[in-house]
Amino acid sequence: MVGQAVANVLFYLIVAVSLWLAWSVVSSRRILRAAVALMGVLGASAGLYLLLGFPFLAGVQVLVYVGGIVVLLVFAVMLTRSQELLEDHPSDLRHKVAVLAGGAFFGVHLWALRGMPSARAPRVSLPASDTEMLGRALLSTGADGYALPFEVVSLILLAAMIGGIVIARKTQPGQAATTEPVHPLAADAALTAAGSAEQLAESAPAPVSPPVREAAHG
Amino acid sequence: MVEYLQSLTPDLNTWLMFTSALFALGIYGMLSRRNAVGVLLSLELCLNAGAVNFALFNRFWSPVQVDGAVMSLFVIAIAAAEVVVAMAIFVALFGYRRTVDVTQLNLVRE
Repeated sequence: MVGQAVANVLFYLIVAVSLWLAWSVVSSRRILRAAVALMGVLGASAGLYLLLGFPFLAGVQVLVYVGGIVVLLVFAVMLTRSQELLEDHPSDLRHKVAVLAGGAFFGVHLWALRGMPSARAPRVSLPASDTEMLGRALLSTGADGYALPFEVVSLILLAAMIGGIVIARKTQPGQAATTEPVHPLAADAALTAAGSAEQLAESAPAPVSPPVREAAHG
Repeated sequence: MVEYLQSLTPDLNTWLMFTSALFALGIYGMLSRRNAVGVLLSLELCLNAGAVNFALFNRFWSPVQVDGAVMSLFVIAIAAAEVVVAMAIFVALFGYRRTVDVTQLNLVRE
């Protein structure tokens, strides 16, 4: 009975914080504030993963999403700062269309959920850690293994890293480099984030993975 | 402690209502933001709601396997790749046009 109450309080607390922060992600005037709010939403989702019983997933969420992706987004905000966009007012029409689309999605979803039988989480004895199972699933080549998608994701990350560097560089490959690189940080940041995500993906199967901690900062 | 709590969390429909609310907020942001980086932030909300849903159905429907959690990992990895490319595009775009306002970016060619 007490456990029920504790679980409910935790869940609704995380939900309330998530929704409040998500609202400030989409409505905050200052884009940097929105990025910090997104960091909070993703951290709260890591708490939800813990509540669902996936501690490794929660760790990956914090390391890759909060530590890598949001930092990269903050780089993007700072590298593309323009004065006239500080006040991000949507026009009336855009605001109405957006409310209509979001509200319609939510309404249809609620309507669909109303007729669906709900379920509680089944009481089974879970494995002690999801890390070992995730590692086995990711590297097993059998019928229920994900070795091929795992390698494809590695390739996608490599391609995204190279593509990011090529797009963000100032000069075209054939030309001589000019003396003033406009955004020296951009290529570095792209390299860092893609590299950290890839290293994390590579080190995911190991039950104990020391490089993960470094990768988040590196 | 966590293992004990997780069988006592609210039912599936309550979780799904929450993730769909998160996704709906993301849709609102994608359509109402003028700053391209803001559109990307809202997109991350949607991706995150989808990743939570994968782990959610994993937990409620096949708790002894981790297929949904693997999909959540893939969603996170793809989100990283997508953000890298999008940020490179925004920085290059800012170099050419000095703005990332999506309402101003309506020229296919100069």
